[in-house]
Amino acid sequence: MLALKNSVIDLHHSEKKTLVGFFSLYITLCIVILIFISFVYYKFQKDLMLSQKRIDLQNYSNEFIIELKQLHINFDKNRVYPRDTRFKTAIYDSDKQLIFSTLKSSSVQLDNIVYTSNKTIHFIKEPESYYLGARYVILEIEDNETWLDDIEQEVMIFTSIGLIIMLFIGYWLLQLFIKPMRDAMHLLDRFIKDTTHELNTPISAIVANIEMIDTSNLDDKLARKIRRIDIGAKTVSNIYQDLTYLTLNHQIMSQNEHLDVGEILYQRVEYFSTLANVKHIEFKMDIQDNILLFIDIKKLSKLIDNLISNAIKYNKINGTIDILLNDKHLSIRDSGKGIKKEQLALLYDRYSRFDKTVGGFGIGLNIVSMICKEYHLEIDISSEINIGTKVEVKWI
Amino acid sequence: MDIKSFTRSLLKVIMSLGILFVFTSQVHGSVYTQNCIACHKDIPVSIDKYFYRYLLKYSSEKKVKHAIKHFLQNPSQEKTVMADAFINRFGIKNKSKLSDKDLENAINEYWKTFEIFGKLK
Repeated sequence: MLALKNSVIDLHHSEKKTLVGFFSLYITLCIVILIFISFVYYKFQKDLMLSQKRIDLQNYSNEFIIELKQLHINFDKNRVYPRDTRFKTAIYDSDKQLIFSTLKSSSVQLDNIVYTSNKTIHFIKEPESYYLGARYVILEIEDNETWLDDIEQEVMIFTSIGLIIMLFIGYWLLQLFIKPMRDAMHLLDRFIKDTTHELNTPISAIVANIEMIDTSNLDDKLARKIRRIDIGAKTVSNIYQDLTYLTLNHQIMSQNEHLDVGEILYQRVEYFSTLANVKHIEFKMDIQDNILLFIDIKKLSKLIDNLISNAIKYNKINGTIDILLNDKHLSIRDSGKGIKKEQLALLYDRYSRFDKTVGGFGIGLNIVSMICKEYHLEIDISSEINIGTKVEVKWI
Repeated sequence: MDIKSFTRSLLKVIMSLGILFVFTSQVHGSVYTQNCIACHKDIPVSIDKYFYRYLLKYSSEKKVKHAIKHFLQNPSQEKTVMADAFINRFGIKNKSKLSDKDLENAINEYWKTFEIFGKLK
């Protein structure tokens, strides 16, 4: 399988958190502003509708008051309350006591002039003379709420368009904010790329020449010196490979094949044995045979190298490294000083280091994370202070 | 006259007095009837017209009652609800000599007689 390498620079956890926070805040603010504008528009449209209805209601109320006046004058002869098919009415006295009502909606606001109430429009009129004691005359007409449907439709369309525009502006702003961060990361990557390119030839020469030296013919003192040079060269070579992986390798395609993970593990442990011997670290291997993974050999080696290298680097003198491989996972456990819980989430960030007493660029676990992401492997790190750290890579 | 016939005569007298009392009270009526209707029946404008005038100006029961009481206790041209032509013809009534309680009872009866509440159809 050929998998396309990820060339996008990963942002730090805190930077991602800040950007997500900014974007959430921006969207929330946009929604609040749009809701506010919609509300103002709704109020404006409602007032406009009521002011249009008010003209009719004013005319109706004048007609009704004339009829009320007639009833007041002839109350000893006629007691039939005036009714009209176009509107309903109610009269209240100056103490806001109901005198008579034909209203549909009982919710009346006598301090208002015109308002909507339960799908009706109410208009309050105070006649100059209180016919039949009516200080407040309430007129009611039906409100079919078509104006509200129109407003809802308009608000939905305009807020959707507004939100889409705001989202585009937000995305553009986000890109503006990310640019300096990306530029800084690119600069660092370019610097490392240039530097590593210059290191390639001398490191290859050192490693190749050391491998050619036959230490069995040398005296012990010289053989020890050669071993030290070998360790140093391997450490530099490892750092070099990590850096070149980050700056070059992840831009090319993977050459995947079925690999025996156990076999590779033995090879890499052997490779790191000289380095482990310096700290008298013992490897305890529990490897199940024939565990195959469909993966690029360079990447599997890089993944294992980084985990073993970290286990050696952060281990104590005379410590142990337990390597367990079965059909479900690979686990590498050291007996080092451990990592604080709050730092565990930041482990995969590039250039982040938690123990400055040991060497490194803080890119190892970032590479492990990238490889795991590419091959859909699950990585789980657990740690206990002064007991050690366990890294598990699961594939089922 | 024996005791039996005396008792019978006494009962007749008591009953007659009772009937007389009921009859006289009906003739004289309440404070409102004796003190308001009695005078207003001689005026060509019926007493209900005054009520509707008050209603037209004061609207609620509380305000109408208060305005009537205030006017009756101290009548003046400024306080009247009637038109100038009416006042010019009939003049301002005299100050009421009724006690506060009697005045209130009379006004309450007046309100009950002509109030609008429950009368509209």
